[in-house]
Amino acid sequence: MTFSLNEIEATAKRAARGAGYSWGVAEEAAKGTRWLCVHGFDGPANLVRLLDLQLALSADHTPNINESAWSGDGVLCPLVTGAYLSDCAGQLAKAPIKIQGISVPLLLLPYAGMVARALNSCVRISMDDLEAVTDGKELCAPGAVQLHADDVTIRLGGDLAMPRSQQARATPDKAAWSKLNDYAHRTYAPATDQSRLLGAGAGLADND
Amino acid sequence: MSRPDAHIARRSPDKVMRLSRLGSLHQCRLSFMRILTRRMASEGWQFTRPVFDIDGNGVGQAVYTAKGPERAYSLVAFAHDLPDEKRSDRVIADAWDATFALFDGVPSDEDIKRLSLNVPLQEAGRVSERELSLSRANRSVRLWTNVVDSLAAGRQPDLKHIRDVGYLMRTTAVYGSGKFGAADRELIAGRDEMHVPFQAEMLSVYLTRTFVRDLVQHMAKAKGRANSVSLDPGIARQLGIGNSTGLGMAPFIINHPILFNNWIMAREEAIARVRGVRTASADEIDTFLRVLNQSVISVDLWRSEHPVQIAKLAQLRLDLQLLNKHLSQQALEKDYPWNRLVEWSAAELSDEGQELVASLILEPYGDLVDGVAHCMADSNHDAFRIDGSMPVAEALSLLREGFAWAFELDWSDKANCARAWYVSEEKLEPRLGERFEEPISDYEQPLAPARDAVAAFLDLESWEPSDPIALFLLSHPEHRHTLRRAQMCRSAPYAEIRDNTISEAVMPIDMLRAKLSFFGATHFDPRSDRWVRICMYAGAPYPEELFPHNADYWVYPESAG
Repeated sequence: MTFSLNEIEATAKRAARGAGYSWGVAEEAAKGTRWLCVHGFDGPANLVRLLDLQLALSADHTPNINESAWSGDGVLCPLVTGAYLSDCAGQLAKAPIKIQGISVPLLLLPYAGMVARALNSCVRISMDDLEAVTDGKELCAPGAVQLHADDVTIRLGGDLAMPRSQQARATPDKAAWSKLNDYAHRTYAPATDQSRLLGAGAGLADND
Repeated sequence: MSRPDAHIARRSPDKVMRLSRLGSLHQCRLSFMRILTRRMASEGWQFTRPVFDIDGNGVGQAVYTAKGPERAYSLVAFAHDLPDEKRSDRVIADAWDATFALFDGVPSDEDIKRLSLNVPLQEAGRVSERELSLSRANRSVRLWTNVVDSLAAGRQPDLKHIRDVGYLMRTTAVYGSGKFGAADRELIAGRDEMHVPFQAEMLSVYLTRTFVRDLVQHMAKAKGRANSVSLDPGIARQLGIGNSTGLGMAPFIINHPILFNNWIMAREEAIARVRGVRTASADEIDTFLRVLNQSVISVDLWRSEHPVQIAKLAQLRLDLQLLNKHLSQQALEKDYPWNRLVEWSAAELSDEGQELVASLILEPYGDLVDGVAHCMADSNHDAFRIDGSMPVAEALSLLREGFAWAFELDWSDKANCARAWYVSEEKLEPRLGERFEEPISDYEQPLAPARDAVAAFLDLESWEPSDPIALFLLSHPEHRHTLRRAQMCRSAPYAEIRDNTISEAVMPIDMLRAKLSFFGATHFDPRSDRWVRICMYAGAPYPEELFPHNADYWVYPESAG
């Protein structure tokens, strides 16, 4: 079964929120998950890999940006790190950004894409021995999945020789999709008699 | 072509974006239904009904195809025999009198078979990227049997009865944009005929109305056989399609700030252009007076049982009397007549009356107004990225300016945050609850931008004015959505509702009406503070009678009948 990208984005947003991220971070995670699907990656499966690590609730996974390389007290969260990367796009125009110890580094790519669009330039992302290049619209990246990267370097430049083909639909792994929905489910309020009665505003007759 | 002779500024967001005003908006030339009918007529779209396979009990399927210059779209309709006790407008219903999908192209037999296994299930089924919308409708118990029986017995139905209800069926949801597996908006947004928002959904409803007319005729014939008569086309044209809309739609205008800005800004730009016209020609004045007189009829036909709407309608009727008296004093003969009229209405009329005037003055000026429709889609995807290099001082002033009114409220007062928006586990639909009485605040959706803006401001104040907000957001990720919205407002001044969406007094129907008015809906009939019935396409020519000369002003009734 294929899913619309809108379904992917809506579910990813709720799932990231359900896993404890703020709404703003969840919005970006959702757009990023969609972006990965467009470029032929299983965005939901990669997001679930991250959410399962439960990094949202501790500041240990937020980058300390005062060092020459961003690192955390624990492993870095790519959603929080990616959001900061996107926020300081201009910094990349001056010097490469180095990141040490990050989970599911693939999830950084959509943020690098936002930076590329903002700077109107290609951005090259080295993740240990893998390398990706994007201008925000197109992406060159190997299909291999890394659960972790020790060293990530993001710099301007690179060349989009063989961009990945773009997809209009997503076919997430069934188990991952189901798990993503479980995370999303955490944002739904359990129904009560009061909410059934009032929440949607029962009123005058609805069968006349 | 007329052009504005003077530059008149658009009305300010502080004035326009109050909920009481948004909840008083009326359809206008820029309504999505009218944009669609104008296009279909001017491009000479062809309409066919390749399938109509429905039995005497009204069970079966039908296909209606609309063919434009480049592409065809087909409504695939399934008619069901629904026991009365299962009929409900509410989103918790699981069976309907009729269910529909708008297919991208002309469906094959296999497509129809696939849809027949899914569309009748609605949310419990799946559609594909070949479908642009999924919807359902229920019969109006008050009117359906009456019309079938009248026609079967060889009589035309009573026009007064028809006008009291307005429609034979009402849709209870029209899902588009990738819902339940349907095609994403992005797949069709680049097509000329789909660039304006909600054109697929509006086409689906237009064809649904034709199907409903054909179905009632078919059932009358099956019942009365040789005694039956055909529904008079003049009466048929009075019939719209009803629609019940609940809370599910309210968050849309908060969740799509740039899109909503573009709708409001388009209408405000149109109003400003017409206000800038120095002299109105006799023809232009005639057009205005004609639609005004027809609006008086339309308002007379507008029924509501809701106390708030009853009061607003009484005021609107009074407004129309005042307006007619004002116009009888040569009010349009001075220079800048429309500007004078808008200023007069702002001083003399209720919000309902003011917004009706603002919509009506656009009618004589299609050449000045209609082109603005191209700006109503949201194609500014880059606005999503937060510019983290913005200094704290600048972010503070953005929040202060964008939400000035919200700083006057005491957000610790329970009355100002009495409500919370949440999504129910049961039907995954937005609901509105009582924060201090129900266990819902842990599940709150980010639908109170004003409260959040003030909270972000208070946290931001203690930071160095020259710090980039990227640093602040690293420590305060809970304010990311708020800073994003604040930055969006730089290019989208009408993006934010300038009212409290969680106050104890909030009326979600105001948000519903704002959106539905842009669809082109009429006769808003709130059924509680959080769901509303409307009428769509009443008066519109059916496909076989749609021509450029009648494609636009059909929304204004010809006579009281």
